[in-house]
Amino acid sequence: MKALLLSAILFSPLSLANEEPPDTPGHVVGDQPYPFDTVDPRVEEKPPIELPESVAPRLERLTPEEIEFLKSGDARSFAGSAEDTVEELESRTPEEVKAWVNAMQDVVSRKRYKEGRDAPHIPFNTESPQYNAWRLQRPRSLDPQREAGPVELGRYDGRGGPPTFGGLPLALSQQDLVAGEVDVAILGAPLNMGSGWRDSGERATVDLRLMGWPMGRQDQYVLVEASDVLEIVDYGDVAVDNNSTERSMRHVRDIVREIAETGAVPMIVGGDHSLEYPNVAALADVYGKENVSVIHFDSHYDAWWGGSHLISHGYPVYRLILEGHVRAADYIQVGLRSQGPDPSGFEWMREQGMRYHTMAEIEERGWPAVLDRVVAEASEEGRKLHISFDIDVLDPAFMPATGTPVPGGLTMREAITIVRRLCAESNVVGFDLVELHPALDPTYKTSLNSAHIVKACLTGLAMNKEGLTAKHYLSPLSSEHAVDDYFGDQQQYLDATQAEKDAAEEKADEEETGE
Amino acid sequence: MTPGYVLIRTLIVALLAFPFGQAFAEWPIPDDLSTQAATLSEEQLNFITSGDILKFIPERQLEHELATRDADSLRNLVNDLMSLAAQMGYDPGRDMGAAPLNLAAKNFHRSTIPTPAPLRDFEREPGPFSVHRYVFPQSGVPTFGGAKVAIWPEDLTAGSVDVAIIGVPNNMGSGRRDSGAGPDAMRALNTIAIPDVQSLVNPLEALSVVDYGNFSIDYLSIERTVSHVAGMVAETAGTGAIPMLVGGDTSMLYPGVKGIAENRGPGTFGLLHFSAHPDVERFSDHTISDRQAIFRLLDQGIVKGSDTIQVGLRGPGVDLETLRWLREQDVRYHTMAEFQRHGSERVFKRILREADKGPDAFFVSIDVSVLAPADMVAAGRITPNGLSIREVTRAIRHVCAAKDIVGFEITDLAPMLDLSRLSVIHANAALNACLVGIAVRKKGLDPDYIHPVALDHGQR
Repeated sequence: MKALLLSAILFSPLSLANEEPPDTPGHVVGDQPYPFDTVDPRVEEKPPIELPESVAPRLERLTPEEIEFLKSGDARSFAGSAEDTVEELESRTPEEVKAWVNAMQDVVSRKRYKEGRDAPHIPFNTESPQYNAWRLQRPRSLDPQREAGPVELGRYDGRGGPPTFGGLPLALSQQDLVAGEVDVAILGAPLNMGSGWRDSGERATVDLRLMGWPMGRQDQYVLVEASDVLEIVDYGDVAVDNNSTERSMRHVRDIVREIAETGAVPMIVGGDHSLEYPNVAALADVYGKENVSVIHFDSHYDAWWGGSHLISHGYPVYRLILEGHVRAADYIQVGLRSQGPDPSGFEWMREQGMRYHTMAEIEERGWPAVLDRVVAEASEEGRKLHISFDIDVLDPAFMPATGTPVPGGLTMREAITIVRRLCAESNVVGFDLVELHPALDPTYKTSLNSAHIVKACLTGLAMNKEGLTAKHYLSPLSSEHAVDDYFGDQQQYLDATQAEKDAAEEKADEEETGE
Repeated sequence: MTPGYVLIRTLIVALLAFPFGQAFAEWPIPDDLSTQAATLSEEQLNFITSGDILKFIPERQLEHELATRDADSLRNLVNDLMSLAAQMGYDPGRDMGAAPLNLAAKNFHRSTIPTPAPLRDFEREPGPFSVHRYVFPQSGVPTFGGAKVAIWPEDLTAGSVDVAIIGVPNNMGSGRRDSGAGPDAMRALNTIAIPDVQSLVNPLEALSVVDYGNFSIDYLSIERTVSHVAGMVAETAGTGAIPMLVGGDTSMLYPGVKGIAENRGPGTFGLLHFSAHPDVERFSDHTISDRQAIFRLLDQGIVKGSDTIQVGLRGPGVDLETLRWLREQDVRYHTMAEFQRHGSERVFKRILREADKGPDAFFVSIDVSVLAPADMVAAGRITPNGLSIREVTRAIRHVCAAKDIVGFEITDLAPMLDLSRLSVIHANAALNACLVGIAVRKKGLDPDYIHPVALDHGQR
């Protein structure tokens, strides 16, 4: 099986699933750049307003075009409602009205893209002799030959080397993953373009290695040690261009796809939430479009649209849906509580069939009920699931070091449980943990808590492999001392242990008598 | 120092500098390794002897590989490296050549359009205004130096403003990123515009200083930020006020200086740049970044190399090729090696003499990395072994008093890295040093004037 998979990978062209890539937009430089769709179907025009006859004298200096503009949605973004517009008009002379309308027209025309005046793209220096240096991979021949497979860096049974995620062995290529029959590859992604604060670059991926010791270790709640059950590796960091999110997306998608193609679960950690886009797109490349569901843990809904940039840490959800990688109805969101979206954003999510679970719902229904509802939704029909975990879903008490913290979030106890349950009870094929900015937290609490979230998913994946997929499984051994029957559910255990004890005593008596 | 000594030294320097030409120019295969090399094809040999291979493998390792590999393994290695070389450049069939934008965006220009007068909410007479309730305020809305606020160019003109301090909070540095928080951190710690102990001049009394707010940036693109900032700097300088810019990362030095040149003309003023980093990266795959700021200014002739003085160089960008290139551009550079050899007193004397002999007008730029980490732990591109705050502020103060200052910029402060806020105090001190210098000049005092009462207690 291993040899078959290896040959399939080595001898078949690495194709983007079976899909034809979308047409390249005309204004994009290069024949085969990233297939960003530049159309925005969600640009909503506000309906024109009716102006009462009473304001007609105020409009006498306006041309018909200017009157048309005044009634349009564009003007309303300055003037407000019909009533507000009338009020504005009545406070001005006809001359002032004309200046006012002209100023609005001026701003509208300057805000929009204008061919010839504005650059339609962000130019790179294509003359550079080191244009691709940032993402060139080291050929195997540069280092001494070694057999393919994960490498242990330490001298003492793998320990004592440079820090890796969880002290786990290192893999650097698809051959290493295949040869090692790797189940989970943890990939650092130091993308540092989120707003708020910016420290989610290499400090974040390195910190998760320094503080990453819990990853793969025994989870006392279920008494499972993930690294005993699964082959887990540190897959190094993926190269990013920290001066261009757009340019980074394709390479991240390539490397994540490289992991997923082997059947391993990619776990991407570190950088900003733009990464959800290439991560999920790569899974769609491997498993097919609309075949992967996403559960998005975040205080923000990240489906913003309409900005001048096509991708940022605010847009990944929208872009994945727009490009058809994931159906909106296959999106589940948990923990939303930031100031946006406004009511129209929620209405849009309802129309699309997205399942959102805000902190308002958790306040209303209680955490246990929402937990069960979310896990049930995520596990429907054995769907393939990607977990995108923005650490700002947690309360800043637990995760102060994040780019855009919002108070009033989940606790670590809630988060660990839901992540472990999802990874155990659902069919998880991908996971990311993003928006860690270590410099904001000199106590290392945020990095350590982040590592424990990763650990919770590793434990869950190990439970899934071991068949421990019952609803909210917890170890009967670690969850109860069973000296008495305080909660009334231990009588069976107590009877059984008593019977064993009696049998042992009886046997001992017999042996004594026999002598 | 005798003229003969100087001549001999110049000759030695010239002899040392020129025979090498470009680094990696050629790499003749050493005789004792020629047997192994003989198994390679002509093309492969060329790749080695041309020195191209040294972009991918250090010389010491190359010798080792040649000496120890068998023929197949050596061919394999050289082929792999040649294939890397072939992938280095841009290929339109493979690479993204530019990042596309959303042309349908309603706000394609994100918040870079100043509100036109008819759309402003309330009317007031032009001129700087106070944000405070009290005659002698002790706290309140933080502004640079507690200065009055101005919003529009007509405010600057109406107030005959001498100095406009402006935040440029972009955040795309190649080191630790928090420079976007720099302007507000420097506003929040009110240690600018304090009286100067040397001249006993209070810059806020001697000058009309305002907080001119921030210039808007595109947080995802330096490229899209440059033209707006340059235009706003030009507009500000056009009123007669001196723009003092507070970054932001050092990429913003490019639009800062460019904006000044839009009014005065290119090559009409000097640039005194304090930094650990030369910022003259010539071959980048991007068109602008902190590491390219000075290269762009020199390459486009916005400032002349001979009018550019760099102080405190020591960072990872300082290599032989870069220093040679700076020499070719006639840049006056002063590395920490020079400070080590000659001592700070003599080197600063040389620098100040270069400035005095240079153009009448100067733009002064401080990348906070020039300071030793002990004095500036919150530098985005921190580099050990820098100058002290005393040395730097003294030089800034002198130049700002001695020359006609056309602009000032301080960049790459990353406040999150310093819980003590000492770094912010020192960033403010650097800005204040120039403000004091400008005030001293305005009062017609000698650049290094020391008030006699400040110098000595005068008791018998």
